[in-house]
Amino acid sequence: MLLSTPWRLWRSAISTLKSLRPAPVRHLSIPTDAVCDADTIFALSSGHGRCGVAVVRVSGPASSMVLRNMTGLTQTLPPPRTALLRRITDPHTKELLDRGLVLWFPGPHSFTGEDSAEFHVHGGPAVITAVLQGLGSLKGVRPAEAGEFTRRAFHAGKLGLTEVEGLGDLIHAETEAQRRQALRQMDGELGHLYQDWSSRLKRCLAHVEAFIDFSEDELIEDGVLNQVDSSVHRLQTEIERHLGDERRGERLRNGVQVVIAGATNAGKSSLLNTLCQRPAAIVSPIPGTTRDVVEASLDIGGFPVLLSDTAGLRDGLDSVEREGVRRARQRVEQADLTLVVVDSTQLPTEPKQAPTFLQGYLSIVLPQPSGGNPEEGREATSDRVLLVLNKSDLVPEAQKERTERELRESLGLPPACFLSCHTTTGLGDFLAVLQSRVKTLCGNPLSGAPSLTQARHRAHLQQSVQALSQYHQYRNHDLALAAEGVRLALTHIGRITGRVGAEEILDIVFRDFCIGK
Amino acid sequence: MLARKLPLILHNLPWSVSSRAGSDLARRHYDVIVVGGGHAGTEAAAAAARVGAETLLITQKIATIGALSCNPSLGGVGKGHLVRELDALDGLCGRAGDWAGVHFSILNRSKGPAVWGPRAQLDRERYRQFIQSELLSTPRLTVLEGSVEELLVSQSNPNEPGHHRVTGICLVNGSQPILSSSVVLTTGTFLSGSLFMGQTTTPGGRIGDAPSCSGLSHTLRETLGLRVGRLKTGTPPRIVKESVELSLVQIQTPDKEPTPFSFLNTHTHCKPEEQLPCYLTHTTPGVERVVRESLHLNCHIQQDSKGPRYCPSIESRVLRFPGRQHQVWLEPEGLTSDLLYPQGLTMTMPPDLQLRLLREIPALHRAEIRTPGYGVHYDFVCPTQLNPSLQVKSTQGLFLAGQINGTTGYEEAAAQGLWAGVNAARAALSLPLLALCRTQSYIGVLIDDLVGRGVTEPYRMFTSRAEFRTSLRPDNADIRLTPRGFEEVGCVSLRRYKEAVRVRDSLQEGLAALKSVTLSSTRWREKLGNISLSESRNGSLNGLDLLQYKDVSFEMLAAIFPEHLSPYLEFSQRLNIEAVYRPHCEKQSREIERVQEEESLSLPPDMDYLSLPTSLSSEVRELLDRVRPNTLGAATRIPGMTPAAIVHLLHYVLRTAQRNQHTGQRVKAACKP
Repeated sequence: MLLSTPWRLWRSAISTLKSLRPAPVRHLSIPTDAVCDADTIFALSSGHGRCGVAVVRVSGPASSMVLRNMTGLTQTLPPPRTALLRRITDPHTKELLDRGLVLWFPGPHSFTGEDSAEFHVHGGPAVITAVLQGLGSLKGVRPAEAGEFTRRAFHAGKLGLTEVEGLGDLIHAETEAQRRQALRQMDGELGHLYQDWSSRLKRCLAHVEAFIDFSEDELIEDGVLNQVDSSVHRLQTEIERHLGDERRGERLRNGVQVVIAGATNAGKSSLLNTLCQRPAAIVSPIPGTTRDVVEASLDIGGFPVLLSDTAGLRDGLDSVEREGVRRARQRVEQADLTLVVVDSTQLPTEPKQAPTFLQGYLSIVLPQPSGGNPEEGREATSDRVLLVLNKSDLVPEAQKERTERELRESLGLPPACFLSCHTTTGLGDFLAVLQSRVKTLCGNPLSGAPSLTQARHRAHLQQSVQALSQYHQYRNHDLALAAEGVRLALTHIGRITGRVGAEEILDIVFRDFCIGK
Repeated sequence: MLARKLPLILHNLPWSVSSRAGSDLARRHYDVIVVGGGHAGTEAAAAAARVGAETLLITQKIATIGALSCNPSLGGVGKGHLVRELDALDGLCGRAGDWAGVHFSILNRSKGPAVWGPRAQLDRERYRQFIQSELLSTPRLTVLEGSVEELLVSQSNPNEPGHHRVTGICLVNGSQPILSSSVVLTTGTFLSGSLFMGQTTTPGGRIGDAPSCSGLSHTLRETLGLRVGRLKTGTPPRIVKESVELSLVQIQTPDKEPTPFSFLNTHTHCKPEEQLPCYLTHTTPGVERVVRESLHLNCHIQQDSKGPRYCPSIESRVLRFPGRQHQVWLEPEGLTSDLLYPQGLTMTMPPDLQLRLLREIPALHRAEIRTPGYGVHYDFVCPTQLNPSLQVKSTQGLFLAGQINGTTGYEEAAAQGLWAGVNAARAALSLPLLALCRTQSYIGVLIDDLVGRGVTEPYRMFTSRAEFRTSLRPDNADIRLTPRGFEEVGCVSLRRYKEAVRVRDSLQEGLAALKSVTLSSTRWREKLGNISLSESRNGSLNGLDLLQYKDVSFEMLAAIFPEHLSPYLEFSQRLNIEAVYRPHCEKQSREIERVQEEESLSLPPDMDYLSLPTSLSSEVRELLDRVRPNTLGAATRIPGMTPAAIVHLLHYVLRTAQRNQHTGQRVKAACKP
C-alpha cells in the first residue's frame, strides 16, 4: 500500500482510539460557530510538503455521492474498506485529475462514524489543488474546519473521555496552524479585499437593521435601503467576479515558512546567505543594514522552504527601520519555524547564566503566546523555534562547551546550535537539526495547507454570494428575511476575516443614525 | 390557625390589605417577598403566586402599583415581542395593555411578520387599575405598603453554592422582621437614586416618591459584596394638551382594527373608533440654541455615567447630531387626561429653560408644562453576578429583576420580573430553577445577554439581538412558550394551556391540509387568475408552495379547496406566515439544536476555574472566573473563548458529571423543545 509515514501514524492512532472501550459519552456537539453537522466535509489529511502520496478525506452523508462523482463509479460503490485504483476526475468537466486509490468507509464503521471516503493521490501541489477544488464545487460539500473530523468522531461517540483531553490540544494545534496559514493569506491584497467586503457587508447589515428596528419612529430615510440595494448588488458582482477569475489573485506562498529573527547585527543576513549559498542579502557590520524582509526559496532535505531574513529587532532610529521591525514581528507571528539568531559574544561568560539570558532574549524576539499560559507557551515555543548561537568562532572553546552542556540540561529552552557563519564551523550539525525540524513540520497534516485554505475561502465566498441573493429575493416584501440573507453572507465572510457580533452591528447603527427613542 | 387563614381572606378584599398593612395579622413568613411594585415587581409577584408560592409584595405606595413612570405606551419593535412572550407565560402586561390601550398599531407592518412590532398608547389610569385589581385578586398574593429597611441574610446552606442565604426583610419602623425563603428585588431607579433638574439634585428614584432606604444598597454592596455600576435615564416634561397648536402637527392615526397583545383576547377594551391619535412635530434650530445656552446649568448632562444611546435626552441628541431636525411625538396620556407626553424631548435643564425650549417648536409656541422633565442617576448591580434564573450567584434565594440589572424599558423589566418570580417561587418550593434559552424566546435572549455579557449602557431589546429572529416571531409566542409554561414551569393557567394546544394542533393540521392540496402550475393559474407563478416549475405545486408567492393568501386557496381548508380560516394569517417562514426556520433548526445541546450542559456555579486541573490558559481561566458562565453554551459566547478551551471544559465537566451522577444539578437548563 502506498501510505506515507504520517498517514500510517494517523491511522494507527485512530485504530488505537477505536480499540479502546467506548466510554459512555453524552452526545454533545462541540462549538464552532454555525457549522452544520449535516454538511459533508473534506480535508487534506497528509502534509503539504513534497510527499509521494497525498490523502484527501471526505466525511458526511454525501460521501458516496462524492465518490461516485469523482471516480465515475456510477452504479456500485467499492467494497467497504478496500483500496481500489481509479481514475479521479473533475466532477463537472470530467477532466482527468490523477490516477489514485479510493477507499469507501460506510458509517458507522468509520473514524467519524459517518459515511467517509478517501482519495490517495500523487503529492504534487497541482494535483492536490485540483482535487480539492473539484470536491469544493460539489453541492453540500465544504472544506473542514479545524479539528472537525475529530469533533465528528467525538460527536458520534467514537472517542472516549480520555481522548477528549487530547482533542482539545488537537483543535488548538489545528486552529493555530490554520490561523497562521490564514494570516499569511490575509496579509496582502487578498486580505484587504476580504476585509473590505466584510466591512461593507457589516455596514449593509447595520443599515437594514437600523431600518427594521428604528425606522418607524426615527428619521431614517427610505434612501438608506436603496443604498443597501446597490451596495449588496455591487458586492455580489465583485465576489462573483473574484470567484470566476482564473488567475486567483496572488500566488500562494508554498512551503514551510522559516523566519530568521533576532537583535541587530547578530548575523541574521549572514545566516541567510550561508543557507542559500549565495549572497542574497547585503551584510555589513553596521547594525540595521537589513530593513525590509528578504526572502529566498530553498530546498532543505527535499522539502520546500521559504526562508525570510528580517530586520534586527530594536527601537528603530528612522521610520523606514521602524517599518522594517514591524514587518519582522509580523513575519515571526506567521512563521512555522523561527530561527532566533544570537550573537555568541553577547552570551554571559558564566555558562550557568546562559539559559536565563536566552530566555530573556526569546521573550523579546518572539510574540507573547496569546494563551498566556506559560507552560503551554513554552511547549509551543520549543517546537517552533531554533536558537542559533552565531559567531561561535569568537567565543573561547571551553566556554562554548560548558554553555552547550548547560543549555542541554535546562528545561523549557528550544534546541540551540553553536554556529559560525564566518568559518561555517557547526553548519553540518545545525543543518541536520533544521532538516529534521522541517521534515516534521511538512509531514504534519495539521499544518495548514495553502490549497486547503484557499478552497475554504472559496467555499465561504460562494455561500456568501448565494446568501446575498436572498436579500434581493425578499427585499420588497419581507425585510426580516432579506436581512437574514445579509447576516448569513456576513457570517460566511466572517469565517475568513473574523466573527461579527450583534453588538458590533448595533455600534454602527448608533454611529450612523440619530436614534432618539 | 386564624392567623394562617386570614391573609387568604384579605386578598379577596383588595383595599383592606393596605389598611391592615403592618398589623400583627400579617403573616410573618412567606415563600417569596417581592420588593417594588413597578413592571418587574408586579409580574414577579403575580408569577410567584401562579407557580404556587405564598407571596408578599411590598411597595412604598399601593397607589403607585402599576404606574407608568415614563412613556404612556407599551410594545414596539422588539419590545412587542417581549409583551407577546410575557402573555404566553400568563404575565399581566399584555392583558393590561389590551385593557388600557387607546391607540393600537402594528409597527413594521411592511417589513415582515418576524419583525412586526405590536404597540399601544395607554391610558395611565386604566393600566394602573387593571394591574392593581389583578394583583389584589390573585390567590396566595398579599400586598403590603411599606419601605424596606434592610435585607436579612444568614449563613449559606452548605449543600448549595453561594456564600449567603436570604432569610427575609426588615421594614422601616417594623418591629419584627418578615421572613421568607426567597426575595425578589425590583427597586428600579431607587437604588441610591438621585434626581437631577437643572442644578438641583435630590435623592430619589421617581419624582413625588420618597427615596428608598440606603440600607438596602448598603447590604447589597457591603454585606453581599456585589459589584454595582451607575447609569442614568430621564423623562420629558408633561405638556397641557390645550396649550398645543394641534393645527401645526401631523396626525398619526392608529390601526383601524386594533390587534390585541394577548393571545386570550380577540378584541381590545377600547373600541376601534374610540382610539386617540398621536401627533408628530419636529425640533428647530432654536431648540439646539437653548440646549447649548443652558449646558452650564445642566448637572445631569455633565455627569459622565452612561445613558442609553437610543433613548437619549434632547440635549445629547442635539450635541451628538447637531444641525438636524429631530422628531417629537406628542402622545396622549389617556382618554380623560388633559396632558400630552412629548416623546423625544427628555430634558434635565432648569424648568424655565425647559419651557423656553418647548416654545421654540412652532406647535408648542404657547405650551404650558404641568410637570417638568428630570434626570435620574441610579445604581445597578452588574448582572453578570446573576444566574440565568436571575438569582444572585453568591446569595441563595435572592433574585433581581428590572432596572436594577441595568436594563431600560417597561417590557424588559416585566420580562425579567416574570422570570425572577417564577424562579423565586420554585426555589421556595424546592423545585429546580429554570433558564430560558435564547433559541426559544426574546426573554431568553435578554437574560442571556445580561448574565452572560453584562451591560455598559442601559440595555434595551432590539430584534437584531436575536440571532434566531425568523423563528422567534410575535405571532408564534404562544406555541413557543405556553405549553412549556404549563407543563414545566407551572406559571400558566389550564385555560390558556388548552387554548394554546388547540391552536398548535390546528396549525399543524392546517399545514398538512395545505400540503395535501396539489395542482399543476397551469391549473393553479387558471384557478387563481392573474398570478405570476415561476415558469420554471413544472409538475405539481401544493398549497404550501403557493403561499410562498406574495400575492397568494390562505383565503384564496381556501376558496378553491373549501372542503380541505375552510376549517382553518380562523388561522389564515398565522398559516400564511408559517408557510413563508417554515423553510427558513428549518434551515435554522439544526443550529438551534446545537445551541440547545450546549445549553443543556450546565457548569457548576462554584467551579474553581483558576485551579482547574486541565490545560487552560491563564487568560481563559480569568475570563471564566470573572463571567462564571452557567452552561457550556454561555461559555462559548464569552468574547475571547477559544474552541480548544471549550473542549477542555467539556471534558472536565463530563468527567465530573460522571463522578457525581447522583448529586443532581440545581439549575436545570430548560431548553428541550
